[in-house]
Order: sequence, then C-alpha cells, then structure tokens
Amino acid sequence: MILDEACVVAPKPGVRLRFDPVRGRHVLLAPERVLFPCPTTVEILERIPPGGTTIARLVDGLAQEYDAARETIAEDVLALLGQLAKDRLIRVEREDRDVDAAA
Amino acid sequence: MSMPQPEGASRTHGGIEPPVGLLAELTHRCPLQCPYCSNPLALVRRSEELSTAEWKRVFDEAAELGVLQLHLSGGEPTARPDLEELIAHARSRELYCNLITAGVGISEARLDALVAAGLEHVQVSIQDVDPEGCDRIAGYPDALRKKLAFARAVRARGLPLTVNAVVHRHNLDRLERMIELALELGADRIEVAHVQYYGWALANRAALLPTRAQLERSLAVVERARRELEGRLVIDFVIPDYYARRPKPCMNGWGRAVITVSPDGRVMPCHAAHVIPGLVFANVRDEPLARIWYESEAFNRFRGTAWMKEPCRSCPRREIDFGGCRCQAMLLAGDPEATDPACELSPEHARILALAEAESQAPPPPFLYRTLAAGRAPREPAPAA
Repeated sequence: MILDEACVVAPKPGVRLRFDPVRGRHVLLAPERVLFPCPTTVEILERIPPGGTTIARLVDGLAQEYDAARETIAEDVLALLGQLAKDRLIRVEREDRDVDAAA
Repeated sequence: MSMPQPEGASRTHGGIEPPVGLLAELTHRCPLQCPYCSNPLALVRRSEELSTAEWKRVFDEAAELGVLQLHLSGGEPTARPDLEELIAHARSRELYCNLITAGVGISEARLDALVAAGLEHVQVSIQDVDPEGCDRIAGYPDALRKKLAFARAVRARGLPLTVNAVVHRHNLDRLERMIELALELGADRIEVAHVQYYGWALANRAALLPTRAQLERSLAVVERARRELEGRLVIDFVIPDYYARRPKPCMNGWGRAVITVSPDGRVMPCHAAHVIPGLVFANVRDEPLARIWYESEAFNRFRGTAWMKEPCRSCPRREIDFGGCRCQAMLLAGDPEATDPACELSPEHARILALAEAESQAPPPPFLYRTLAAGRAPREPAPAA
C-alpha cells in the first residue's frame, strides 16, 4: 500500500503497544503475534491518538519535536507506517473510505 | 521495524528467555466431542479444576515471569462461569487475551460481558462448511449455524476474528469453501491445520488421515488462495506430519516460547507432553510458575540442542526445527530423544509414510468421540506404529 500524508492512520482493534518491564522494552501485541518494535516505531505508534490522525499531522509533530527537516521525517514516517499497514498493525483510511480492507 | 526475538533481553537465567505465551486450559469440559481433540484421553474432571483464585494467581505469576499473551482455551473456556472475571484480571496485568472457543451456546449478553472484561481476539473453530459434516465431526446438533452466528457477533463488536479449521479426510475436499466462509465472516485470519496425531486424534488416526492426493490438492488450494487474498485474509497452514519432509518446529522449541497449564494446574512445555514417560510435571498449586519454567527438570529436559542424537545433533536445521516434536518421537519412534519421524532423515520416516498411505486408503473406521467415559474406558492401545 502506498501512503501519502493525507491518509488517516488509527490504532487497529486487537493490536496493543505496551512496555514490558521484564524485557525492558516495548512490545506490540496482535492476534497470534508478538513483535518487538524499534524505538522509532514506538515513538510513532504512541503519537497515534485513539480516534486516528493524518500522517501530515504526525510528521508536523515530529518535525517540531526534533527540529529536523520535514521532508526527511515525512519520508521515514511514510515508509514506516506503510510497513505497519502491510503487517496489519494499524488502520489506514483515505477520503472517507477504509482502504485497509480493500487494499 | 520489528524482529521475532528481543535483543539484549534479560540473560539472568543462563540464556533461558521468559515465555511469551501461556496456554491456559481452563477446563476440559466441552459441549463438542471432536475425535481429533488435542486434550488428553484422560480428561480432567470439573471437581479437579483450578479455582478462580488459583487461576488469577497463575496469571499474576505469568505476568511477572514475562508472559505477554494469554490463550484462554480448554475444552471450552466459556464453560467456566468465571471467564469474564479471569479476563478482567489478566487485563489488569496487561496480558493480551485471546479466546479459543467452539462458539456454541454463548449468548450475545455473555459475549458482551467478555468484551467488556477486555477480550482482544477470538478464535472460533469451524469443523466443516457442510452442516451435516460439521454436526457429525463435532458430535453436536446444529453446530454450524450457532458457530456462524457467534462469529458474526464477534465481528459486530469490532473484535478481530480467526477461523480455526482443522482439516482431515472428511472435510479437506471443501477447503476452498472454508476459506470463502472465513472471508465472508470478516475474519482476519484462518488457520488451516491438518490434524496433529496425538491423544484423541491418534486414537482416530485411521479415520482421519487424508490421502496424499487430498493433501496435495489442499496445498494447491492454500497456495492459490494466499495469492488471491493477499492483504484481505491471512492463511496459516499446518501440514500433516506424516507426509512432511521436514518436521515442524514444535512449540518453537521445548520450553522456549510457550508455557501450558492444564485444568488441574499441571505445568507443561506443551499440551501433549504427558505422553513422554518419566517426565514429572510440577503443579501451580505447589510451586511458583517462574521456578517451574526456569528450573524444573521437565522444562529443561529438551531445551537447547545438547540432548540431541544424530542425525539431529549435527544437522544445520537443529536450531530451526529443534528436531521436531518430542511427543511424536516418543509416540512413533518409541524414543523422545529420537529425530521426529516426520523428518525424512529419520530412519522411521519411510515406515510412517507407508502407514499413512495405507491407512488413508482403507475405508475409515467409525470415530471414537471425545467423552469423559470413552477416554477412561479400557481399549486397545493406539496403533502407534
């Protein structure tokens, strides 16, 4: 799935990010899967609110926080969210249409 | 983005990682009588089951040990009236709650209570897309209609759904329709699992083994469906051991990822491990879960690769498939340290394959249905070899 900044990303039911004190790191729990996301993935997942947000807004927030070139951040965030969507770990909506199921 | 195993995880236990999953067999009671049930023949009685307080303590100990996902299974886990209380408790310890159910006899109000308690994923078994076939395998009337209604109710509440389809010679020819049904129900995943021959399934092996032609067709069906449904439905596929060339990486390695607790509190590396003679399983009633996981003889017995014999010991795949399944090595080769006969490098492999071909082409004997009485009745030993 090719994402762009107008896409709305939202948490997927049945997928949960939590910190695991035993392993000392975040874990992403999904049906029949346990993943150990990298710190960048954790940071982005934590910024997705329960009701979802546009990728543009996520990029704005990160560019501001890290005082980095918006273009570079956008590229990384789009690639990372694209992978998460492909792995069925987030929901993606576009133009009021749920492309998650139709992709 | 992610990796299957954590790097830099705690190494304070001599290299033994904490388990990621706990399979909680809450009860052996079940309204269905499937002849391939993974429960042991000697089913645990209700009076022997762990209490609500005991299960809660097990979940507390599991969370502290590092368990992340809880698989609430049975028997039929909804037969426990305290299931919602157990789920709420598990969620308070941040455990991911997965329910593995037959999906019959569960009212919408009960499902609402389970969801409100924090249930996160449901796996429902479908025995066959043909209603009569479904009833015959489950030994339960009108099973399919009830299962479909339950699966739809799960999706209506927004929970992710997995269809568990156990396949064998009586339903394998309808595999396409099972996959279509999973799609129509809005499932995210379907697990197409060929029967694994332990316990009840081993006793019913001659009635269940598919022919090689059936198996090959099922492989083609799955391959095509995976291609056509990519992005819409995930298809997990478990091949039948008897026709395999390489063994399955059973439990992802003994005492490596999953810890199983039986209804009466026995703690095992897998739900079939009781077939291995000489293994003593500690009970959560007597010992803490962490000590059982890290220190018990049963869990350390087949950890790593030091216990292996040839051809496993020097095999380049020894840390990929861990020599296959210890229980199957016991059941088919008579030695729990032997190479799983599912592996073509096993000296037993040709014999097992010939046996599968012979049994699958003979007329199927009647099912031995899974009941408390049938499991405890004296019978001819299972035709292990």
